[in-house]
Amino acid sequence: MTLVMVVDDDQDLLEQLGIVLTGEGFDVDLVARGDEVIEVFRNNPPDLVLLDVMLPGIDGIEVCRLIRLESMVPIVMLSAKGDTQDVVLGLEAGADDYMVKPFKHTSELIARIKTRLRRTNVGSLGKLNLADLAMDLVAHQITRQGKAIQLTRLEFELLVALAKEPGRVFSRDELLSEVWGYQHSTDTRLVNVHVQRLRAKIEKDPENPLIVVTVRGVGYKAGATGAS
Amino acid sequence: MSSTRRTRLRNSLAVKVIFSTVVLSLVLFGIVGSALYNKFSDGILNVKLDSSIAETRSAVFNAQYRFSFVGNSKQAVIGSIVKDIVANSATISATVNGREIALLRSGGLAQGKIDYQSTSNLVDPTVIPKELRNRVRKSLGTEWALTTITYASGNRIPGLAVGQTITIPTVGRYEMYLIFSLVNQNATLDLVRTYLLIAGIFLLFLIGLITWLVVRQVVKPVQDAARIAEKFTTGDFDQRMPIENNDEIASLGTSFNDMASSLQTQILRLENLSLVQQRFVSDVSHELRTPLTTLRMASDVVHSARNNFDPSVARSAELLAAQIDRFDRLLEDLLEVSRFDAGVAVLESAKFDISELIERCIADLSLVAKERGAEIDFSSTGHAVIIEADSRRVERILRNLINNAIEYSDSKPVQVKIVESQGTIAVGVRDHGIGLEAEAAFRVFDRFWRADPSRARVRGGTGLGLSIALEDARLHNGELEAWGRPGKGAHFVLTLPREAGQQIESRLIRLEPLDYYSTES
Repeated sequence: MTLVMVVDDDQDLLEQLGIVLTGEGFDVDLVARGDEVIEVFRNNPPDLVLLDVMLPGIDGIEVCRLIRLESMVPIVMLSAKGDTQDVVLGLEAGADDYMVKPFKHTSELIARIKTRLRRTNVGSLGKLNLADLAMDLVAHQITRQGKAIQLTRLEFELLVALAKEPGRVFSRDELLSEVWGYQHSTDTRLVNVHVQRLRAKIEKDPENPLIVVTVRGVGYKAGATGAS
Repeated sequence: MSSTRRTRLRNSLAVKVIFSTVVLSLVLFGIVGSALYNKFSDGILNVKLDSSIAETRSAVFNAQYRFSFVGNSKQAVIGSIVKDIVANSATISATVNGREIALLRSGGLAQGKIDYQSTSNLVDPTVIPKELRNRVRKSLGTEWALTTITYASGNRIPGLAVGQTITIPTVGRYEMYLIFSLVNQNATLDLVRTYLLIAGIFLLFLIGLITWLVVRQVVKPVQDAARIAEKFTTGDFDQRMPIENNDEIASLGTSFNDMASSLQTQILRLENLSLVQQRFVSDVSHELRTPLTTLRMASDVVHSARNNFDPSVARSAELLAAQIDRFDRLLEDLLEVSRFDAGVAVLESAKFDISELIERCIADLSLVAKERGAEIDFSSTGHAVIIEADSRRVERILRNLINNAIEYSDSKPVQVKIVESQGTIAVGVRDHGIGLEAEAAFRVFDRFWRADPSRARVRGGTGLGLSIALEDARLHNGELEAWGRPGKGAHFVLTLPREAGQQIESRLIRLEPLDYYSTES
């Protein structure tokens, strides 16, 4: 069973989220305080964390940072604010996706969770090479000269999406649809923040990226490919 | 603005005070100066007069004495004495300091007598005023008068004539005049006058300067007060007048500062109040979100199980879900409005094809349009129309306009058109439905405004849509305008600058639709 950890300070919402997620076939861990998250997380590592921003104890952004220190688990932030600043802060702290309360439909939340949990459909490709990076799509691993690089699942998928068609320029909207599963969202901040984070991990000089290259006014593409 | 005001202030006070002080001083100096001058000239003249009279007396006495020894001597002797007297009494030649003598006959010239009338240095005898001669003739002593000495050479100098009668043996009464030059006295007086004038001008200048300094002492604080008040008016509420002394200016300063403090407190209180209000709206909206989320999820759970309920309970579940949607939209709009009110709404501009955006909005709304029986006709330019703007906001505006047009279309076609110029892009949305009053076209953008209070709002509408659309347009430096006539439909025109931060150059779409006039005529 897939375990989803839900962190929210509102007891009623927490209970309701528990009911809905259980109804969808998930196991749930319900946590109401920010400072309790890490302990619960270590005792019973979840497959996904649903994390509210405003929390007693430690706020959600800090909790997100703490989780990222020890795990690459998908994190979806829940925000009652939806203001640029909070969203960007959450994404920079390591969240993969965010949802603004109230959700338009419960099904939207479920869809997001499922997207974040799905395994990339690797098809016939088992392995990919991009520049000096070797990607094992089955094992979900990436190595540079034998040394493993830790990527979150989302970062991995973002990189794979670009690497599968090297040289092709992906618009931000295309990436949102490919990686995040959005139909037509114009919130390109998600893409921008995650590209930054990905570059910080795989580029030798993140200021002058060679692997994930910006195409001005259009989007991104994978550069310097040595496909096998 | 401020410099002219300051000039005006200086004009009204300093210049006025200095001007009147100088004029009054001038009058005073005139009076005092001329009195002084008169005293001087009288004094100088009197000294000269006393000595002149004494000199004349002694000269006349001497002459008379010499004549008295002559007896009835020959005319030649008398003549020589006369000549001698005239020569001795006068200075040798006509000089500025000279003294002239005139011996004038009193009566007519008797038959056979020699005329001894003579003057020194060819002085014109008419120099002696007739009036003086009359007095001399009647008097036993000396008489005097001021005159001008006229030499035969034409030289004229101021003089003093002193005369007395003298009897010349055998020929009768003559008048003997000594004419003293007043050139020296006049020169002294001129000097005095010059000094008086210079002193007067100097004093006048000093008084002007002192007045200016004094006035400045008064005016400068007033100017400062004016400047500070001006700054205060422009919103710098921390401005205060410095209070250094205990004078009237200081009390003006104290009063001003008290007023400023009181105003500042009031303004801060009001600002605070409005800030609190904005915060309140924002907080309420935020606080409502969490329970609304729970409510929605609970409603979704109930809604998805509605097939197991009684029809009435099932319908209630549907209504519940619909109302939660509506509540959600209202909350969203309220939050957006509170962002505009707080001035924290920001543009996230990027380049996109607005023509494609319109097509997408129309496609999204085609289901509603079909329901209402309204056909949407989009006359595009046929190519991409790239605009640099906040696509989320532009989409919200367009969606709102097209949705409204469909709702009020009365099942008649809705026309959407786009027109572009170098720096401006305009989108017009025209419907031919129930329309609105001409005056209402200005009010449709008011929050929660209803054309007809008894008429139902667009189903699910929040009453904030157009007001948010207008704010969105203005945030782009754009404009959103409405036109309408009852039964003739409505026309909304959105005009946006092509590049973020620019201004719109012109109105590309006429607000009054052309088809309105063509159907009228």
